[in-house]
Amino acid sequence: MTTILDRRRQAPSPRRGPGVVHRLVSTDHKNIGILYCVSAFAFFLVGGSLAEVMRLELMEPSRQIVSNEAYNTLFTIHGTVMIFLFVAPFATGLANYLIPLQVGAPDMAFPRLNLSSFYFYIGGGILVLLAGVAAAGQAAAMGWTAYPPLSEMRLSPGVGPDLWILGLVLVVISNVLNGVNILTTVFLMRAPGMTMWRLPVFTWNMVVVAILGLVAFPPAAAGLTLLLIGRRLGGLVYDAAAGGDPTIYQHLFWFLGHPEVYILILPFFGVITEIIPVFSRKPLFGYTGFLLATLTIGMLSTGVWAHHMFTTGVIVNPFFAAMTLLIAVPTGVKFFNWIGSMWGGKIWFAVPMLFSIGFMLNFLIGGVTGVMLASPALDYQAHDTYFVVAHFHYTMLGGSVFGIFAAIYFWFPKMTGVMLSEKLGRVVFAMLFVGFNLTFWPQFVLGQRGMPRRYVDYASGLGYDTPNLVSSVGAYLLGVAVMVFLVDVWRSLRRRTPAGDDPWGGYSLEWATSSPPPEHNFDELPKIRSLRPAFDRQHPELTP
Amino acid sequence: MRVVTRYLVLLFLFASIAGTVYWFVTYEAIGTILLLGFACTPAIIVVYAIRHGSMSERRPDDDAEADPATEAGEVLGPFPAETVWPIFLVLGTIVTGASLIYGLILAPVGAALLIWAVLGFTRESRG
Amino acid sequence: MRRGRPVLTISACVTAVLFVGACSGSFGMPRGASEQAQETFQNWQIFFITAIPVAGIVYVLIAWSIVRYRRRRSDPPDALGSQRTENLPAEVVYTAVPVMIVVALFVLAIRTDDRVTAISPDPDLVVHVEAFAWGWRFTYPDGETVVSPPSGEDAEWPVMVLPHGETTRISLTSNDTIHAFWVPEFLYKHDAIPGRTFEFDVTPTEMGTFQGHCAEFCGLNHAYMNFEVQVVSRQDFDSWLGQQDQVPA
Repeated sequence: MTTILDRRRQAPSPRRGPGVVHRLVSTDHKNIGILYCVSAFAFFLVGGSLAEVMRLELMEPSRQIVSNEAYNTLFTIHGTVMIFLFVAPFATGLANYLIPLQVGAPDMAFPRLNLSSFYFYIGGGILVLLAGVAAAGQAAAMGWTAYPPLSEMRLSPGVGPDLWILGLVLVVISNVLNGVNILTTVFLMRAPGMTMWRLPVFTWNMVVVAILGLVAFPPAAAGLTLLLIGRRLGGLVYDAAAGGDPTIYQHLFWFLGHPEVYILILPFFGVITEIIPVFSRKPLFGYTGFLLATLTIGMLSTGVWAHHMFTTGVIVNPFFAAMTLLIAVPTGVKFFNWIGSMWGGKIWFAVPMLFSIGFMLNFLIGGVTGVMLASPALDYQAHDTYFVVAHFHYTMLGGSVFGIFAAIYFWFPKMTGVMLSEKLGRVVFAMLFVGFNLTFWPQFVLGQRGMPRRYVDYASGLGYDTPNLVSSVGAYLLGVAVMVFLVDVWRSLRRRTPAGDDPWGGYSLEWATSSPPPEHNFDELPKIRSLRPAFDRQHPELTP
Repeated sequence: MRVVTRYLVLLFLFASIAGTVYWFVTYEAIGTILLLGFACTPAIIVVYAIRHGSMSERRPDDDAEADPATEAGEVLGPFPAETVWPIFLVLGTIVTGASLIYGLILAPVGAALLIWAVLGFTRESRG
Repeated sequence: MRRGRPVLTISACVTAVLFVGACSGSFGMPRGASEQAQETFQNWQIFFITAIPVAGIVYVLIAWSIVRYRRRRSDPPDALGSQRTENLPAEVVYTAVPVMIVVALFVLAIRTDDRVTAISPDPDLVVHVEAFAWGWRFTYPDGETVVSPPSGEDAEWPVMVLPHGETTRISLTSNDTIHAFWVPEFLYKHDAIPGRTFEFDVTPTEMGTFQGHCAEFCGLNHAYMNFEVQVVSRQDFDSWLGQQDQVPA
């Protein structure tokens, strides 16, 4: 059994090509990474379809496509799927694929644990989906935040919420195991010369994500378990009549919930920080500052959780307002790192760069509206309205998902040896960018005009009609964009335009091996003297 | 390892200070416990790291002038190439958890699967 | 390459939209029909106005980089940019300035929060509000109540009548699950939590009828748990109160 005591290992190469069964039981980190990414994208299609149904329901007032109950299940499962089964696992997949390559290791520290993490994720995901399709009256319909008393047995009878809780507990286990794997790999399996200060930014971001996960997931698991105990075993922790308190759940949940959103965005900060310097033909500007900002964000994100509870009256608002406003600073610093990385460069607008620019444009809005929400008085108006929905979609869709597409267009050639289409990629980008902004910008307006979230319907004549219509049109444009993307993947895999080792002139170690890499990753490691070992090898005239 | 240990010490300090400040600002028990509990995680890792000498060790990966050529050719044992035990581990967990929902009759079944999977895992690692 | 243009256009559009939102006078938010809401609205204005140059500067810098530093047709395909990685003065400035902005915003935010949530020692009227799934019960002094009829899509919204220009203490709780009492025109909402009672003041500054919504997801008919707040003169309020039936609480 390979452990952290072993430093270099030679893998026996497989005698046969990878069949489907092999792909499902292989412990090769590259295979597991691809499994994660493909599964996550499949969940994206599921969650996206649920959203399209919701937007159809909301397109006009008084339209009834689905029953109230079904609508409540739609947004419950949509939120759960997108957060826990799509964005986070996609980042995990990227991390599993890239981290050993970027640090110069032949695999992750615990390969079988890695595969176990994947199956915990799949198992949890299936349970969550089952929770959504349970028989009428039993499906999970309490919102992805599942606040008691609504999520308790009396008001949400049936097996759906229990399956949902169990599914999430499995997803938590998956994340915790993965965090341990990532940290051990990065701490103890780096190649000679790969000091922590030469680590690629993506790997560093995943280190912070892993630590955040280890800290933040257990309290949520506790809160969910208490909920399950309340539902099935007569527990009374959240029961006000019995002397309990439903807001305890909110504390436990949001202690995870807020770091979770940083877990969702930090990997993609890392992704675009890998991409922007490469396509500007410049080194990253302010690596040290960027790292300090990342570490600070990781640290501060654990102290802001109750800004989700400003309207409950059970917390001291100024503490959380202060921490939330403070965390805007390192996030803003990163924008200047990205701008500095483009400044003075020779920028070429390949598709990964387009998505990275889109990321910046979108995320800025998400960040600025987050600062607004940090003020308790403004949150009293905006909480639980479409303003918040728009805010978090600007950060998670406009941010993380654009980062996902950037990552796909950047690393697909490395993973498959085949290029995606530049032309179709530009179409996908344009449609996603326009569709996304059309969908969510009107929702800021909706929230401020007074439309609460999680409403299956709204009265006409309140000023909600036009923004909802525009938003739904945008949502359908988003759907078409994703279809075009799938067409691009299909055609590219059939056309098989060879990518070569390094189609982009990349900087980190994964570009110093073949596409796709051999099972043991590197036949020969280049000398590592800077943040850009692959680049240095191509440009010996520039290295001191 | 030294860099990371330092960051973890910083996290421990941050969480301890934040938790203490939080208590005296709010007198709210749950958040205080969460923050002080958060301080424990990095503390555990740091204590382990320091006691096992990782603050002082010089590893080739922390050596800015090290050369991969000096480490090449060292064979350290086989990769675990394929394994089915994770699937059974997860199935066992699901069935055990589902016993809370569908009836405790499932609990022994789930436990049996779990134990079988753990045994399989362990035996596999012994080669 | 013309590819920089779309991004420039888009950033220009976004900035324009922000300006239009600002120039429409209300910055997209209702002006507020109570004294407390005036504080909130001012807070919103300041945050919004601060956001415009901050976002604007970042967008302009991004657009400028894209246009000015794009690879041109005349450049060789492997041309490299400047290899500079640091600029300490710039890094210090772009860290310190946001800190200062954020500190100022914090002071403003807390001042506003204190004023919005301040409760007077001697309100002119106290109304008990009970939220339940899926309606509201408003209980006035001397036991008069207004209750939601059985709820559903076409249910009539219950009306809470308040006197103009006077301070009403709302005492809020819930019977079952967590709801939230929200009147968008008052720029304020608060959760109604079972087992707890919260108090806040409203001093209406405008007469009229204002929408109210439940703003914490509470199950099947969450979207139909609406109400109205009617602000009338003190005399009209007294006569309305006199006409209400006494209903045992």
